[in-house]
This record gives sequence, C-alpha cells and structure tokens, in this order.
Amino acid sequence: MEEINTALSRRRFLQATGTASALAATGAAVGVPESGHEATSADAGTARRQPNTVVTKNICHQCPARCGIDVYTTEGRVHAIYGTADHPISNGKLCPKGPLGVYILYDPDRWRGPMKRTNPRKGRNEDPGFVPITWDEALDTVAARLNRLRDAGESHRFALLYGRGWGASDAGLQGTFGKLYGSPNVAIGHSSMCSDGSEIAKKMLDGNAAYNAYDYRNTNYILMFGVGFLEAFRPYNNNMQVWGHIRGRKTPKTRVTAVDVHVNTTLAASDRGLLIRPGTDGALALAIAHVILTEGLWEKSFVGDFNDGVNRFVEGRTVEPALFEENWVKGLVEWWNVELKDRTVAWAAGITDIPARDILATAREFGSTRPAMAIFERGAHAHSNGIYNGMAIHSLNALVGSMYSVGGLMNQMPPSYGPLPADDNEYLDDWARNGAWKAMPRIDLKGHPDGYLMAKNMMQEVGPNHLAGKPYKLDTMMFYLTNPIWTAPNGQVWEEALKDVFMIDTSPFPSETGHYADLILPDHTYLERWQDAPTYPFEGYPMTQLRVPAIEPLHDTKYYGDVLIEIGKRIKGPMGDYYRALRDSDNVLRHLAKGFADDPGDNGVNDFESWKEQGVWYKKPYIYRLVRGRFYEWDGRGYNREMSADEVKQNLLKTPSGKFEFRSSAMEENAAWIAENTGRDPAKLMFPIWEQPVHPGGGDLHLVTPKVALHAEGRGHNIPMVIAHLQPTVGGRGEAYCEINPKTARERGIKDGDWIRITSDVGTTECAARYYEGVRPDTIVLPMEYGHWAAGRWSMRVPTQHAGESTVNVSDRVTGQANYYSSKVTVAKA
Amino acid sequence: MAVTTGNGSAWSNHFFIHFIVAVILLMLGGGYVLIEIIQFGKVQFNTTNEGIFWGFPIVVYDYFLLTSTGLAMVASLYHVFGLEEFRSVATRCLWLAFAGLSGGVSVLFLELGNPWVALWATPLNMQTESPLFWKVLLVGAYAALLILVLLGSIKNRDAHRNPLMIAVGALALAITLVAGAVYGMMAMRPVWFGGEVPVVFLIESFMGGLAFTIFFTHLAHGFDDASVPPEMRSLFQHTLSRMFAISIALHFALHAGRAVTGLWTNAEGFQVWQFLVSQPLFHIALWGCVALPFVLMVLPSTRSKGMVQAIAALLVMVGLLISRYEFIIGGQMVPLFKGTWVQGLLSYSPSIGAWALLLLAIGLANAVYAFAAWKLGAEDQDAGFESHGAALAAR
Amino acid sequence: MAKWGMVIDLETCTGCQACTTACAMENNRLPGENWQDVLFYSEGEYPALNLSWLPRPCMQCENPSCVSVCPTKATYVDDDTGVVLVDWDKCIGCKYCMVACPYGVRFYMDEKPVVEPDVRATYPGDGRRTWNPPYKMPDEHEDPSKGIGIQPKGVVSKCTFCYHKISQAPQGVADLDEDNPETKEFTPACVRVCAPKARYFGDLDNPDSKVNELIAEKGGVRLKEETGNKPKVYYLSGGGSPVVPGERSRRSES
Repeated sequence: MEEINTALSRRRFLQATGTASALAATGAAVGVPESGHEATSADAGTARRQPNTVVTKNICHQCPARCGIDVYTTEGRVHAIYGTADHPISNGKLCPKGPLGVYILYDPDRWRGPMKRTNPRKGRNEDPGFVPITWDEALDTVAARLNRLRDAGESHRFALLYGRGWGASDAGLQGTFGKLYGSPNVAIGHSSMCSDGSEIAKKMLDGNAAYNAYDYRNTNYILMFGVGFLEAFRPYNNNMQVWGHIRGRKTPKTRVTAVDVHVNTTLAASDRGLLIRPGTDGALALAIAHVILTEGLWEKSFVGDFNDGVNRFVEGRTVEPALFEENWVKGLVEWWNVELKDRTVAWAAGITDIPARDILATAREFGSTRPAMAIFERGAHAHSNGIYNGMAIHSLNALVGSMYSVGGLMNQMPPSYGPLPADDNEYLDDWARNGAWKAMPRIDLKGHPDGYLMAKNMMQEVGPNHLAGKPYKLDTMMFYLTNPIWTAPNGQVWEEALKDVFMIDTSPFPSETGHYADLILPDHTYLERWQDAPTYPFEGYPMTQLRVPAIEPLHDTKYYGDVLIEIGKRIKGPMGDYYRALRDSDNVLRHLAKGFADDPGDNGVNDFESWKEQGVWYKKPYIYRLVRGRFYEWDGRGYNREMSADEVKQNLLKTPSGKFEFRSSAMEENAAWIAENTGRDPAKLMFPIWEQPVHPGGGDLHLVTPKVALHAEGRGHNIPMVIAHLQPTVGGRGEAYCEINPKTARERGIKDGDWIRITSDVGTTECAARYYEGVRPDTIVLPMEYGHWAAGRWSMRVPTQHAGESTVNVSDRVTGQANYYSSKVTVAKA
Repeated sequence: MAVTTGNGSAWSNHFFIHFIVAVILLMLGGGYVLIEIIQFGKVQFNTTNEGIFWGFPIVVYDYFLLTSTGLAMVASLYHVFGLEEFRSVATRCLWLAFAGLSGGVSVLFLELGNPWVALWATPLNMQTESPLFWKVLLVGAYAALLILVLLGSIKNRDAHRNPLMIAVGALALAITLVAGAVYGMMAMRPVWFGGEVPVVFLIESFMGGLAFTIFFTHLAHGFDDASVPPEMRSLFQHTLSRMFAISIALHFALHAGRAVTGLWTNAEGFQVWQFLVSQPLFHIALWGCVALPFVLMVLPSTRSKGMVQAIAALLVMVGLLISRYEFIIGGQMVPLFKGTWVQGLLSYSPSIGAWALLLLAIGLANAVYAFAAWKLGAEDQDAGFESHGAALAAR
Repeated sequence: MAKWGMVIDLETCTGCQACTTACAMENNRLPGENWQDVLFYSEGEYPALNLSWLPRPCMQCENPSCVSVCPTKATYVDDDTGVVLVDWDKCIGCKYCMVACPYGVRFYMDEKPVVEPDVRATYPGDGRRTWNPPYKMPDEHEDPSKGIGIQPKGVVSKCTFCYHKISQAPQGVADLDEDNPETKEFTPACVRVCAPKARYFGDLDNPDSKVNELIAEKGGVRLKEETGNKPKVYYLSGGGSPVVPGERSRRSES
C-alpha cells in the first residue's frame, strides 16, 4: 500500500499548510477539544492520548445541506467523520450519509488523473479507451478548442453544465467565465431537474425565486406536501435534530401532517399521513384555504380583514372586494371569487382521494394553530400543474401569517464575502461586450418565448435540443458535478444526442456522462480540497463554510475551481489576464475571507486562518421579523426597528406590490405567453388555481421515483454500505424494490419478489417487486438510485434498472420543472 | 483370521474393496472441500449472518457423533451389562463408533472457524456453564478411552468384556445427553427448547446405533443372510430387532408429538413446524423412514428376513439424518430481530461443499471401519464361529 | 467501574440509519453486517398501514446467554465497563453465541458478502487481517482481545459499545453525552451521530445519570425480558410510530 508514503507526505503537507500547529494552538488556547482528542485527553487525565490523530474541518458533500464535519485522520488514513460540534447545521450530528465520506474518498473506481479518449465512437457499449495525459496537455487541449471557437465567432457553442455548485470558488466562477468568454450557455444549472417548481412558484407569490429558510424549532404545526422531511428534505441532518426537539422535547409538541403517495418514515412518524393521488396536492391546499377562509381562521394581522369584521367567505358565494381591507397580501378576495369559493372539502376529497374528514381536520388544525407552516417540494410540484400546486400550498403560509414570523418562513441572507482579487468588468474585450453571442438564445431555450420564458434553467432540454439542432448544435460541453446522460428524464435521448459533441467531465468518478467524455479532468474529492460553500437556505442568518483538505490528494487530480482558472488563463486576450489576476482558488478563498474582517462571525471567525480552524463563519440572528402584522429589523439587541413598506418590498416581499400576491403580477405580466402556450384561461391563470394534472407515458399506474435517505448525491449507488441499506422500509438490501400495492400486483399476476417490467412510451425499467400495503394502488414507487452502467464496480452489479428510462421528459411550462413524477406506466411480470 | 490372512490378492477381500471405495469417497468429498476452503475460505456452507448459523456440516457432525455414541451404547450392552447375545456385534460396534467419531469430528474441524484454538482454549478456560465446553471435554475423553479399548482389541482379539467400557459407555451416554442439552437449553429458540430434548437425543442415538449395527453386520456378510451365523441371526430376529422396533416407536412418538405440539401452539417461533410439515421431506422422514421400518420390525414375517432388516436399518439411518437436519435448521428459521431485511422464515439449502462434507464423513468413517475390518480385526468376532469364518474365507 | 447502558427513545427516532452507518465507519464493519441495525416492520392494509422501526445495537446484557454458552470464554463481560466483548484470540468460530443470542446481534466473518463484489477482495488483507480497507481505524484502537479492529477469519464479532472510546472516558462521569465537549470523543459512534438525539449513554450504576432519569421518568423497557438476559439497553416509546415490536414479526403476510 501507499499508506506509508501518504503518511510521510502528510506530515510535510501539514507543515506547509500550518494545519497541525493551528489546531494544536486552538486546543491549547481555548481548552475545548474542538481540535480533536488532544485537549480532551489532557483534561481527562486518564484518557489515552492520540497524538497521531488530526481533525480537519470540512463540509459534507452528500446533499446540498452543507453540514460542517470533523474529519479524523490518523497515520495518513481518513477513518472517521463526525459532525462539527459548533456548526449551526450539524451541531455535532450526522445523517446516515455523513459517515460515507470515507468510502467516497477511497472509492477504488476513482479516476487516477487526467485522461483523453482514444475511441472516437461513443455509446453505452463503446470502450472510451481513456489514456492518461498530463494536466498541461489536458488544459491546453481545452483552451485551444475554446480559443478556436471564439476566433470563429462561435463561442456560444461552448456549454458548461453543472449540478451541485458549492460556492464562489467553483460554481461562482462560472458566470464570469461565460461573460468573459462569450457564451450564454456558461453556465447552465441543474435547478430545473431539481426543484425549481417550488422556487418559481414562490417567486410568483412573494417575489423570491428561492427555497425558504425555516424556523422549525418554534413552529407548532408543519403541513408537508411531498417533501420526504425525514428522508431527503435538506438540511436532512438538521431536520432530524429539529424533529427530536419539536416532537420529543418541545412544549407544546409540534403537530405534523404529511402528504405523500406512499408511507415513508416521514408519514409513519407524523401525527397524520395522507396518501394523496399523485399531482393533486394543489386541490388539497385549496380546500384547506377554503376552510381557513370560511371558518375565519386566517391571520388577520398579516392578511387583513373585512372592514366590519364580519366574515363573508361563504361557500359558493362571491365577495365584494371593496369590503375587504388587505394588509400584506394582494388579491385575496379575487382569488376567492374566481377559485376558492368552490374548492370545498367534498370537492377536494373527490380529486385527491383523501377522505373529507381528514381534509377538514387538517385544515382546521393548520388554520387554528400558530405558528404553522406549509412546506412542499417535488412530490407536489413535479407535475404538469406544478406551478399551481406550488402556489396553492405556499399561499397557505400567507393565510396563516407565517411569512417572516417566529416559527415561520424566511429567506436566506448571503455571507459577508470580500471582493475577488480582480473585477471582471475590467477584463471584457469587444467580443465579450458586444459579440454576436449576445443575441444567441441559450441552448436550453431558457428565457426564450419558444422555450421556457419564465424558467431559471432547462438542463433537461439541452440533450434533446442539441440532438434536434434547435436552436443550434453545441461544439464543446463541460460538466461539473452533474451526470445528465443518466439523471435526465428519458436519458436515452442524451445517449444519442451527445455522440457528436466534444465533452469534458470533471467528476472524480466514472459516470455515464464521463463514459462519453473526450477529456477527463478529475476533481479532488471533497475531503481533499479547499472550497467555500455559503449555506443553502437554512435559518436565514448568513453563514458560509470552508472545506479544508484532510489529506493530500490521493491521485493526480485538480480542484475544479483551479481547472476553470487555468483554462481561463489560456484564453487569449484580457480574459487570460483576469484569470492570471485571480491566480488560483486559494487566492480567491483568501479574498473572500477578507470580508469577515469587518463583519466577524459569532464564533470569532474574522479571517482566512480562523475560518480554516472553525470551518464556518456565521452571524445570527436573521434580521427580519414579522410581529403581529408589522415588519421589524434587528437593531443589535432586538427586533425593534419597524420597517417601511418600501423596505419590506426591497428586502422581503419582492413583488411589484411589495405584498404577498395571491394575484401574481409576475404571472399576469406573462399571461399572454402562458395562455398561448398552455391554453390556460388568461383571466384566472395568475391565481393559485386548480388544474387537472396531465400524465404522459401511456400507462395506468403513476411512477414515482423518490430520493431516499441514503441517496448520497452522485455516488451513493457505488457505495456498498449504501447498497446494503438503501431502502430499509421494505428491506431493499442489495437492490431497490418497486413498492407495489398487493392488490395492484395480484391483478397483474405479480407475486411478491417477482421480477417486473415497468413500461412507458419512452422506455422500460426492470426491477423486483415488493408487496407494500403502504403505497397507493394507483401508484408504484421505485427509488431513483440504480441502473448505472458506467459508474463503478458496485453499482454495475445491482440488478435494479434505472427509473429514469421510463420517465417521460416533460416540463412545467412556467417553472421549467422536469416533471419526474408525472409519468404513467404499465407494469407486468418480466 | 482367515479374512485378513488369506494368501490371495487383497482384492479377494471385500473389506479391502470396501476400504478402497471408502477412500475414493473420502478423496472426492475431502478434495472438493479442501479446494473450496483454499479458494474461498469457509464461506461456502450457505450459512448466513441473517440467522442460519449452523448449517448442514453441523447436522452431519452431530449425526455422526450421535451415531458413534449410540454404537458405543450397543456395545455396552455386552461389555457393561453382560448381555452375551450382543457379544457377536460388540467389537464391530466399537469400531463403527470410532469410525463415526472420526467422520464427525473431521467435519467439525472443517466447519469450525478456528478448530485448533478449540483444542487449548476449551480446557484452559473452564467455562463450565457452556454445554459445548462439556461436550468437547467428554468427546475428548470418549475418543481417548475408545481408542484404548480398540487398541486392546487389536492386541487381544478374544472379545472379552473390557472394564474400560464402563467409562466409554458412560461417556457416550453423557455426550448424547449434553448434545441434546446444547439445543434443549436454548430458551430463545422454541423449536429446540425443552428438557425432553436430551432424552430424545438419547433414544435417537440408541436407535441409530442399532440401525448401524444391523446394516453393517449385513454388509459384513455381503447381505447374504445365509452367511450370518445362527446365533447372530437369532439375535437379529429377536432381541435386537425388538429393541430396534421399540426405539423406533419411541422416536416416532417423540418426533410426531413435537410436531403436533408445534403445529397446535400459537407461540412465536413454532410457526416453523407449519413450514416443515408442508414439506415432502418431513413426510418422507416420518412415514417412510420411521413408520415403515417400525412396521417391518414389528411384523414377524418381515422382521425375520435379513434383507428387510438391512432395509429397515438403512431407512432409519436416512430418516435420522433428515430429522437431525430439520431439527437443527428448523430451530434457526425464525429470524431474531432482522426486520424487513429478512422476509418471513429464513430459507436454507446445503451447498455443494456441505454435501461434500457428508461424502467426506461417510468416506472417512467407512475407510476407518473397513481398514479395521481388513487389518485390525474389527470383524473377528465371527472367528468364534469357525464354520462361518471358513465359509466367509472361501468366498 | 461504570455499568454503561444505553437509552433509545423511539418517540424521536426517525429511522434514518445514521447509527448504522456511523457504527460501520467507526468499527470497520462490512456492508450489511450491522453490529448496529435499524429494523423495519409493517402491518395493516392500505391505507391504514403501520410502518414502524426499531434501532437494535447489542443489548449488552447483564446476564448474557452468549457468554454462558461460549466454550472457551472468548465471549466475556468486561469487568470495568460491563460490556460484552469477544476475544478474537480465543474464539473458535463455533457460532454457539450467535445461536444463543435472543437479539441476533452477532456476526461471523466467513460468510458470503451482502453486497457483491466483496469489499474484502477490493482491499485484500495482509497477515491476520482478512481485509485491509484504506479507511480502517487507527492501529492503536485495534485490540483483538476485545474484538476491536478488522475482524479476523473464523471468529464472531459484535457491538462493543465502542469500547475503544468509552474505556477512555474520565472516571466517574455519569453520562457520555456527545453534546458535552468533555465527553464527546468518548461517546459511542451511534449515540454521537444521532441527529434527533434519540440515544443516551450513561452509567446505570449512577443514580444521577441522564439514562437513569429517562428510564425512570419515561418508562424504559427492555426487549425480551422473558429471556432473563437483562439488557442494558432500554427503549422509550412515547406512542410515536416507532415501537418496541411485538413478539411476532410484524411484517404483513403477503
């Protein structure tokens, strides 16, 4: 083994970076064992000293949550990972994915260094024939290609696709790259294949195209729609910490109602689990809103009230808008008149297949408990009517006044970063400023009337659009932390599409996209790299974390941020100068940290060195709060400074009206386009309305393909520890089972454990069936995890095939959300 | 001595042929097992950490060990209790007991994770609470004394009663009871649990001993009833086959009784019986290998026929193996705290390696016995009956 | 001389399996061979399905049947901690302890892998080590006489309550609480990571310990009391979905 060498060089490495001395100093000065064993051992007296063990700070990479982790390295081996005790998200704890880092680091299938393809033919069964090359050759190859494209006036034909962007030192560099180089396709994010459905739905109502931050600890009611709160909803680790608090130790105990299509751990652990017909969550939310209004349960301080205090919301009857005085909302009475007045509990029971008594009870509980919040993600909005399901659910938060209130929803504040070493605006040449590329649509037709005018990203369209040559053909594609050939719905189209494009993959691991790559420029794994990562929406207050390498890179890999910078340096003209001014990612990180000097974190982090020691900079509290219908800002001691309506509009409710808009201005602005492209009623489409979902695929059963708790982003499928435990609820050991209701199965002659074939118009998926009484009879559930064909030794041995191959690629025209859960399939014994 | 001192080729001696066949079986079974162990380690016995911890090798081990103790008990009828009738089979039984012991222990050694550690760690640590501690100790003493007795019989082939056999018989009895206790004490495994289990083992062991005595006596005489000495024939037609019938009846009562109780009760763990009874193997064992031989041994017309005796004995030998298998595996089929990882009852089927171990045990035991018969006088008890000895030698 | 025990609060347990994966990481367990496991049960018919789960470490019995059946005293109760350990130098691999454990918490090394291809083949062992993962625990933690480290061939292993951690704890501490910086490093891995704080670890002989308080106030129960094994792991069940399962497996018949 190379362990001995690693251990030796490890010591040199530590000397060079000063990590060891810094950690030791922390332990001695503070006297708290955050540096690992040393201080504790000394204090404890009898404890065994472990002078060889070094603890470095890092951030988990298995989901977007960004839990601070302590990485334990002894004798050059990383052998343990625990949550960082003084990190606001992890608080010393981990979710089941946290410990997997050791396996990811030492994954035997990792790329060993940069490589180029020797087999020009591409396909699932083509051996790429990768051969090792030097980093210089690799970077020069990319740069030469990009320079040539740019010289030919075709810089728009370079696209960069990325998945999990972390911070300013990686994904943060991409936009600048596109701007200086001149491509609208640098960079295209994966958010439409993630959960844009909620971001855009929220934007329509409150003006913030973002996930919310939540004050779970202080809420007394959570109504969940398709979120997998105890499985996949980030930050999962913190969610569970919160769960222990609100469900076990808090008084009063927080009530939870969870809505989903099968019984998962979230539903099982909740007070009430509602098994809903897929795609009808909006109907349930509308009925709840109906009850809240007819029974007078809305939060009057936020929403407003009838002038005379008499509730005129009566089922089936319209209301004169002038009678109602709105406070922080807009269009409530109009919404009632065009939609809500008929959205009764009985109506919703018919649509959702949930008993009326359960809907009514849920509505009354939710409406009469404060604080309460309604949360939702893909289960609710990855459908053809996703925009409206999302708007209807999010509207509930306004009705009960939980926007920006204690126990309610917030928006995430950014960290106090310092400026980068150079200002990109000073490095624009003529092409960058006024080149023909500026008139080019994005390859995915995001923001284009022929495509998805209102979306943020449309990565799922890149493959099909390139294949069709509409709007044009790409020349070169680069990928960062995304594997769309496999993850895109109906990825088979991508397999065909990407045969004629020069591809660069930067993943540390083999993948299906990597299988098509012409160049492999492997990144470090997260335990080997320096990287910043501002928090995902969490509790609102600003926070940013730092990855500190635990060991020197095991292989000849290079941090993606540095790959971008190095390619940038090789581009002709001022762009190269810009990247020479950036110098490297280390320089970028140090400049970011300069922002902390004027705004030190609560834990004393005020520069790069202290950031490295603590791993996180954060500054509590979240500075905005709604109290009894008024918005206040933190003045250093309390929420004392009342905000003006203008300030609210600028910072919180960022809609044209500065209010929570049940009548959405953003929808209204685009009403003509929406009506033309979706056939929706221009008079109603700006409200949270009910729309029957459309289910492509040609089958009779809904196919739902959730993420489960052990889904370690991008790599779980090749970790034996994951394969052994992926789907515990039905005993999925070694494979993933398709959960099928026994009644549904028997009708099709399928026995428990049978191998089945799932078929839609676009493809088939085979897997084993597992009888499960917890899944709706009209739905089958197959976790999205397996079926990889070029991603490592373990994943290739799992028999379960890929759910994505039977998933039809359709998207919500407004949000751009890929409708992963809208397909209907047929199921038969294979 | 005509058998072994004949001046013709060894091939004219059927014990030599028996020995060669046995060695071939031993090499086939042992060779396969050794190749597997070298290539994969001891992972090929289809046991799992889900709940079937003791698989077919343990079945084979216990089967051979208890056959051995049963045979020692049969020999003790003459040596300890002085039943002269049994004098004619006593030496054969003792050699067969030793043969069975060798087969069983060798299988155990190939199954155990660290058999050599057992040799020192068991006596040195004195875990007196463990039935296995006692089992190891008793088997060790039993083996040593048995060897002494047999060595004595090689030196002095006049089959006199050997006082050491009091100890050997007592040890055989104790081993059988302790072997039963190994299972019977397991309160967490209802199919096994019960104070009657050592007694069940005792009866089965004795029954097995009788079956092997009958079968191998007929084998020694080439399944030719006419060549069996009249005294021995008389023993087989009367005392021995009646004993055999009674022990089969007791075995049937205990076995069927446990099955009926298991089927009736609702208590957790006993659902295994429903599964077992639904399998053909159970009925083959109970009706074909217990009830049928009982009938054959009860009816005077069939009891008196040598071939029928041999067939009944063979059926009981097979039946015992099946019920030993169902007992040991069945007791582990209810998974303890495995949740959805394990669906319903655990399933088990012996691997090829495990079958090879059975082959190995059969081969080794037969090789030991046949060699003893060929060279060491295991079959010399017939020498007392001159006419028949001569007849045998002539064949 | 502590009597270490664990309390698992089923009311707040979310069934996430972090205890399982953390244990596997800390103790170099093979995938699926879980010293610490979370077992799921379901019963009922759609739509009234009861899904429940039970985290299951070794119960670390005071009166352990595994110890009394071991013919070589390879399995023993450690005097200082009350933890049931396996001495791999003495274990003969007879698996009687596995048969005798009512809780199914013991694991034999020489079995086919749960996940193919075998990770042991990916990281082949040297000398006594059956495999040699690059992420294996520090050498100074390994102690075959206590069943800590890379499990050798032909022996049985089990949860040690993270003996290599708890045995280093300061004398006289009532609880090993991961939220206390002084005891964090000595807390068993499964307890330390538990996000909802459904696990507590402390000295059952110390009346002031949190574990004793919880057992007393929230009604701690032990599994399979009828075996007389007297587990030192107690479960709290406040009526939430996770429950101590009934005697019979609660998976619906199919």
